[in-house]
Amino acid sequence: MAASARRKEAMGGDAFAAALMLAPAALLLGLFFVWPFLRGLWISATRWDGFSAPVFVGFANYARLFGDGLFQGALINNLIFVALILVFKNGFGMGLALLLDRALFLRGPIRAAVFIPVTLSFAATGLLWSWIYNPVFGLLNAALDLAGLAGLKRSWLGDAEIALYAIVAVDIWKWLGFHAVIYLAGLQTIPAELYEAARIDGANAFHRFRHVTLPLMMPVVLINVILGLSGAFVRNFDIVQVLTQGGPNHATEVVMTLMVKTAFQDGNMGYASAMGFTLFLIVGLCCVALLALMRRSRVEL
Amino acid sequence: MAAPAPAVTIGKATSVSMRWRRRAIFGQNIGELVLVYGLLSLVLIETLYPLIWVLFGSFKSKEEVITNVWGPPTQLLWSNYAEAWTISGMGARIFNSASITAGALLLLVLAATPAAYALSRIRFRGRNVVMAFIVAAMLVPPQVMAIPLFMTARDLGLVNSRVGIAIIHAASTLPLSIFIMRSFFLTLPMELEDAARMDGASRLQTLWHVMLPLIRPGIALVTIFAFIEIWNDFFLAFLLLREPSVQTIPLGLVAFFQQYGSMWNLYFAALTLTTLPVIAVFLLMQRHFIAGLTAGAVKS
Repeated sequence: MAASARRKEAMGGDAFAAALMLAPAALLLGLFFVWPFLRGLWISATRWDGFSAPVFVGFANYARLFGDGLFQGALINNLIFVALILVFKNGFGMGLALLLDRALFLRGPIRAAVFIPVTLSFAATGLLWSWIYNPVFGLLNAALDLAGLAGLKRSWLGDAEIALYAIVAVDIWKWLGFHAVIYLAGLQTIPAELYEAARIDGANAFHRFRHVTLPLMMPVVLINVILGLSGAFVRNFDIVQVLTQGGPNHATEVVMTLMVKTAFQDGNMGYASAMGFTLFLIVGLCCVALLALMRRSRVEL
Repeated sequence: MAAPAPAVTIGKATSVSMRWRRRAIFGQNIGELVLVYGLLSLVLIETLYPLIWVLFGSFKSKEEVITNVWGPPTQLLWSNYAEAWTISGMGARIFNSASITAGALLLLVLAATPAAYALSRIRFRGRNVVMAFIVAAMLVPPQVMAIPLFMTARDLGLVNSRVGIAIIHAASTLPLSIFIMRSFFLTLPMELEDAARMDGASRLQTLWHVMLPLIRPGIALVTIFAFIEIWNDFFLAFLLLREPSVQTIPLGLVAFFQQYGSMWNLYFAALTLTTLPVIAVFLLMQRHFIAGLTAGAVKS
């Protein structure tokens, strides 16, 4: 009985200690996470310029999104961005990891080298590439000249047809090393015995990849997709802002750049917030679906 | 009692090295090696040449940037650096970036460490709910809340404030940091702590004297991740730092580019000046960095 009393007392003391230890984090997250989230929901239900008294409009801002060609264009650009980035970052990332896994010498230094762009800021990366893409002095057009492909030269960021893909390429360039490093770590957990067994059974390199590597790597693929997903949806603001600011003529507009313009140029906080939450809802649904998929394949995050 | 954990690690390391030896003997032929290194060279050129190109350009004259696009500079114009430093006001920007990042990291570690300890070691009601919230918050990018976040900062007088953006950086990197630190605490044996508690140490004393020295790798990992995130941040700075006097390096680079866009050699110098230190820090710490990254993402 004494023991149970002591345990109870200890639990009480522990609850207090836990509260004390969580307090700084709770304060920070409460002020700058929970409160803005709730406040944003409220703002998205109003018409508000940020200064005068907000006018409650219910779901009108969300309803308006359905008829807004500019928003839909931005959302479509966003989805193209996401699809291309997920396919190429994972495809190239896995490819590079397979190469590194086969490299017997200099694996560490090469791995470090391909990781360097990950550590650069989007501002530096974006500005570097705006020079590479420069139609007059740029590296890319100079390279095409050199290769005798002058016909392909163009204003990469000024051409509405290809500007979005030019931006996607920069994002892939920046993050390739990140995904390759994670894939490489995954590849190294696959026991060599499985490959030997497959080899003895007569499987060629492609079959070994298809039937040994890929199934065992599915959890790592899912982690890479989740890591890339919210970034591809939301964290594309920096790169688009630095390279094209959404132009030419909204050809590279994504939801985040449109949201910032709607809020700070047009002074329409309510409508901009509704854009943010709609995007949040889409990302959230994708994440939930992926996490469910992960649970089914019995992976721990 | 702490023995099992290291034993597992040693076992794994052995199997990996054995695997390499075996593959070196059976697996590869010369043709395959040529193919692998050929393709890797292409990747290296694609990754590194743009960066080397910036370095080359930073030493060229304004004319040579156009006439000699590819090659190394024919002369080393160190004066580009002095000039870029003066007209870009990079000194002030570097100070802003450094003080904001340092303040944010300090606050982050101070808030994340006790929270992660409580969530991994203390049983209390609602712990699972708190943990679920942390995971959910990890997946919500703060960008989607840009507008209410800006309004909240404005109400608190935190716009155009280095202190303000540092606090908000700490808050936005907090969920992932707590998550990472918690997984580090979970790997530590319970016994150490129980012994300290048995000797009459309070929870806070245990955390400070017993756990903190052991959790240093976790703190290091969180600090490296958050450093890159905060030092490189463009979005929050774009949102909250409107006054040039408080702006950080990324904003400064963009402003410099927009103002002096035709002086690309100076621009390359500014770019080199601000990115080279980050690359150097990364290369020095890359082992820890990559080990930490992959330990979090891949569990064998």
